[in-house]
Amino acid sequence: MEARTVVSSAPWVSEEGRGRFRSSATTKAFGAAAVIVLATGLTLGLLVVPPDAVQGQVQRIMYLHVPSIVTAYLAFAVVFCFSILYLWKRELRFDAVAVSSAEIGVVLTGITLATGSIWGKSTWGVWWTWDARLTLTAILFTIYVGYLMLRTFAEEPQAAARYGAVLALIGFLDIPLNHMAVQWWRTLHQPSSILRPGGPSVAPVLLLPLGVMFLGLVLLYLYLLSERVRLERLRHQTADLRLKRGRRG
Amino acid sequence: MGSWAFIGLAYGVALVALLGYLLLLKRRLRSTQEELTALDRPVERRRG
Amino acid sequence: MTRKDVTVELRARERVNAMLFFAALVLFIFNFALGPDREKLREVAPGLLWLAFLFTGMLGLGRSFQAERENECFEELLLTPGDRESIFFGKLAGNVLFMVTAEALILPLFGILYNLDIWAYLPALALVALLGTIGFSTLGTLLAAMTAHLRAREVMLPLLLFPLTVPVILGSVRATEAILAGQGLGEVSHWLKLLGGFDIVFLVVSPLAFEFVLEE
Repeated sequence: MEARTVVSSAPWVSEEGRGRFRSSATTKAFGAAAVIVLATGLTLGLLVVPPDAVQGQVQRIMYLHVPSIVTAYLAFAVVFCFSILYLWKRELRFDAVAVSSAEIGVVLTGITLATGSIWGKSTWGVWWTWDARLTLTAILFTIYVGYLMLRTFAEEPQAAARYGAVLALIGFLDIPLNHMAVQWWRTLHQPSSILRPGGPSVAPVLLLPLGVMFLGLVLLYLYLLSERVRLERLRHQTADLRLKRGRRG
Repeated sequence: MGSWAFIGLAYGVALVALLGYLLLLKRRLRSTQEELTALDRPVERRRG
Repeated sequence: MTRKDVTVELRARERVNAMLFFAALVLFIFNFALGPDREKLREVAPGLLWLAFLFTGMLGLGRSFQAERENECFEELLLTPGDRESIFFGKLAGNVLFMVTAEALILPLFGILYNLDIWAYLPALALVALLGTIGFSTLGTLLAAMTAHLRAREVMLPLLLFPLTVPVILGSVRATEAILAGQGLGEVSHWLKLLGGFDIVFLVVSPLAFEFVLEE
């Protein structure tokens, strides 16, 4: 990695001492809480709650599939907010949150796609259908993978941050338009499968594992986000230090 | 394939993905920390 | 801005020729790839038309900032009088003009090759083509500027642009399909509204975003 120009917002980049190497207590708390809540959710969803009358046991995949896409949307909303913050304030720490959140969002969206596909195979016998939900998730996945690739290919960290932020804005505005387009496209062929976590088709007792799993995934997201932002910060510190060393010769 | 096999596959994939990402993250953290420490040392010597 | 692009292009003629040849090629190859079944071809014809339009548009977009990139003219661009938004609209107008010209030449060829009466529905088809082209080109111009000096730019532009323009693609194809099937524009008014909405949103947002892209 060659020396790059990095705008040093001093507190973000410089922090003497070894403290910066350890995860903070808050981060560890998120991690621990995530494990506990997810374990609870899994127990509820897989063991406690009764199976669906129509679909049988495989309906339990929903307790993973739905919370994961909702958490992904949350992650992408965070990308949107922090992209705007970055474009406005130009502080690298905002960009760090944006890229970190996007990475985790992509992982979660990938999980949504995989679990959706597996669920589909178990109920309809095919690994893929072009129904509204799966199609939209696939498009979402592609958009944010593109975001990450754009950032990788940009030559300077600031350009990467800037281009990324613009793309994140465009992407976020685009998503509702995509929703409408894909749903209209599908409703001509089959009844619409609009994403409705805990909608009228779900019995109230099943909302509990759904909610718990969602909470667990959000906690996990927060844990991963903290660690990923910490990585980003270390990277900026390294780049900054490298630059300073370069100057001293 | 039985119902529970599908369930296991779905949750298994998610577990692998999340754990995999976490382990990768830890590895990246470790290597960046090493880089940073390496850059730090000569500076400290100069000060001392 | 547009005038400059157009004059440069009229002199070079590279871009339009390449686009047209490519589009014709695409239409031909689809015919071979999809087989001789007339009925099947008719069903997918609107999609094929738009594939030809979009691939051609993609080619044109890829080249729209090429001159600047090759001659390091980006700095010149920044010094040009007039604010960044005018630069964007100038580039956009150029891109739309090229794409529409190409479409105007592709459409009759398409009518001939796939035996479709396009002349009867020309105004409606033109409207849909215009709405779709504007939507595609607006985001396309912005993203072309962004990817112009990236590594792997040829791959990044389509990768970024296509998922974002799914509403345009779906709307244009569905509307064209309805028109060619003899249904009026009223049948597909929701698609037209979506196309129009898409165009308006990104015509407003893209020039603003362009300012951020051009910073150096």
